[in-house]
Amino acid sequence: MGYILDGVVTALRLLWQGDPQTFSAIGATLTVSSYSMAASLLMGVPLGFLLGYTEFPGKHQVRLVVDTLLALPTVFIGLLVYALISNRGPLGEMGLLFTLPGIAVGQTLLALPIVVALVATAVESMDPHLRPTLISLGANRRQLLLTSLWEGRHGILAAALTAYGRVMTEVGISMMVGGNIKWQTRTITTAIALETNKGLFGMGIALGIVLLMIAFAVNLSVSFLRRR
Amino acid sequence: MSETIYQLDNITQRYAGKTVLHLPELSLEGPAIVGLIGPNGSGKSTLMRILGFLQAPTSGEVRYRGRPARPFDPAVRFAVTMLPQEPFLMHRTVAANIAYGLKLRGNGGDLEARIAEALDLVGLDPAAFARRQWYQLSGGEAQRVALAARLALTPRVLLMDEPTARVDEASSQRIQAAALEARRERGTTLVIASHDWEWLYSICDTVLCLFRGQLIGGAKGNLIRGPWEVDDRGSYLRRLNGGQLFRVPPPPADEAVAFLAPEAVALNPLEAGPTGHAHLKGILTRLALEPNHRQLTATIMVGDLALSARLTVERVAEQQLYPGRTVTLSYTPASIRWIGMVDG
Repeated sequence: MGYILDGVVTALRLLWQGDPQTFSAIGATLTVSSYSMAASLLMGVPLGFLLGYTEFPGKHQVRLVVDTLLALPTVFIGLLVYALISNRGPLGEMGLLFTLPGIAVGQTLLALPIVVALVATAVESMDPHLRPTLISLGANRRQLLLTSLWEGRHGILAAALTAYGRVMTEVGISMMVGGNIKWQTRTITTAIALETNKGLFGMGIALGIVLLMIAFAVNLSVSFLRRR
Repeated sequence: MSETIYQLDNITQRYAGKTVLHLPELSLEGPAIVGLIGPNGSGKSTLMRILGFLQAPTSGEVRYRGRPARPFDPAVRFAVTMLPQEPFLMHRTVAANIAYGLKLRGNGGDLEARIAEALDLVGLDPAAFARRQWYQLSGGEAQRVALAARLALTPRVLLMDEPTARVDEASSQRIQAAALEARRERGTTLVIASHDWEWLYSICDTVLCLFRGQLIGGAKGNLIRGPWEVDDRGSYLRRLNGGQLFRVPPPPADEAVAFLAPEAVALNPLEAGPTGHAHLKGILTRLALEPNHRQLTATIMVGDLALSARLTVERVAEQQLYPGRTVTLSYTPASIRWIGMVDG
């Protein structure tokens, strides 16, 4: 029990003193998750909206595929992206292996089905009277789309939050595609895994506390936005 | 000045291969109040959505003020609006709900005054309601705000699909009054679908009756369903509660519904009606004066069947017809029209 308490004390000291290694991992995590969230939201929100809002042949099959992809294991995505961006892979020339953008590609693949599926569900659960109401008030197609998105904003926020939680806490992609390189591609989760293996609980706990604080800050912001 | 607002030609609406509405021709003049009556599933809401340009028909052409029009066309976007049956507001304040349509039209100037005016029209105090959130309203208040959001747009046509079906009595009266004021003060053409035929007859210039997706006349017709039987003489009839027989010509199919126009029904306070007619005994339960003040619609209960007859004011006075009186109802079976399924 004592070593856990020692770990907590060390964690607080590392955070208080601004330990460079700890803050390098935090910086890498925030950078890569920002890239992947921006990419997955830019692609996922319109795709999810289309999937939830429109009727087309094969919609149920597409939905089934998207829902299946929700359970994609991160190590499988890591393997796939590694195969694509390694020197022998079709995208090897881009030099993405063991870089933050490389991890971001993998995390985007992880977050995209979550955003698409949850946005589609949010759109499907919107009140069916919204569309006729907007048309009868004079909305054109673009205004109809934008207002529908705005009316479904809470569902879209929830989708983004869920995807962010998954991206922040994944280890497999960061480890396989990023290589856990100190000062460069070491993220919070890969650092926790490594430090725990080395028996250095202090840094692991410090990074765990940071993860919790980030999650709390994101939820607080969402809750504030919801009230507005 | 009167003009043709809508001209519908060969309109058909199908859902999943089933025809739910078929109108070879329909013309609506305005400004006017047009009523739509018919049982559930008769195609009223589908017709309202087509007239409101919320959906295009599967086939056929809708002309609005002489020009072919479809949903989102600029000519109809800001001219036609519809109030649905369900009270529905966007997830924002009352004021923002009313302002939405005004902003789309670029009528942002003096927004607060227009919102207040619209709320006044539906009997809601702007100071108390404008800042309320959508979830802070009762069903009746939400429907009144929804109507205010449409009236603020000063539409040329306002369609109301059973606007008072799900609201309390006070809201119902206020909604009816506000709609009529829009017609009177602004020349708005109102198209109202409702089960409340007495209200429709009291306010409408024209009433259209829909049944099984077909237009069956300009008045609330008598629709009589089977089962049809054949008596010893080979005549077709339906046995009514109480043992009386409603005689009909041979039905084209078992599920066919008999339509008897109220104009084809005669009432007589005497025991016997004219010879050559079919007769039924019933109790006159209701008399409703039509807007022209020259005719009345009488409701007669025969067993558990309510039948309507259209009579002149003079005839009602002359024969001393009043609610509660036992009357003989006469019609010729040949005047009965059969209505089958649209797909049939």
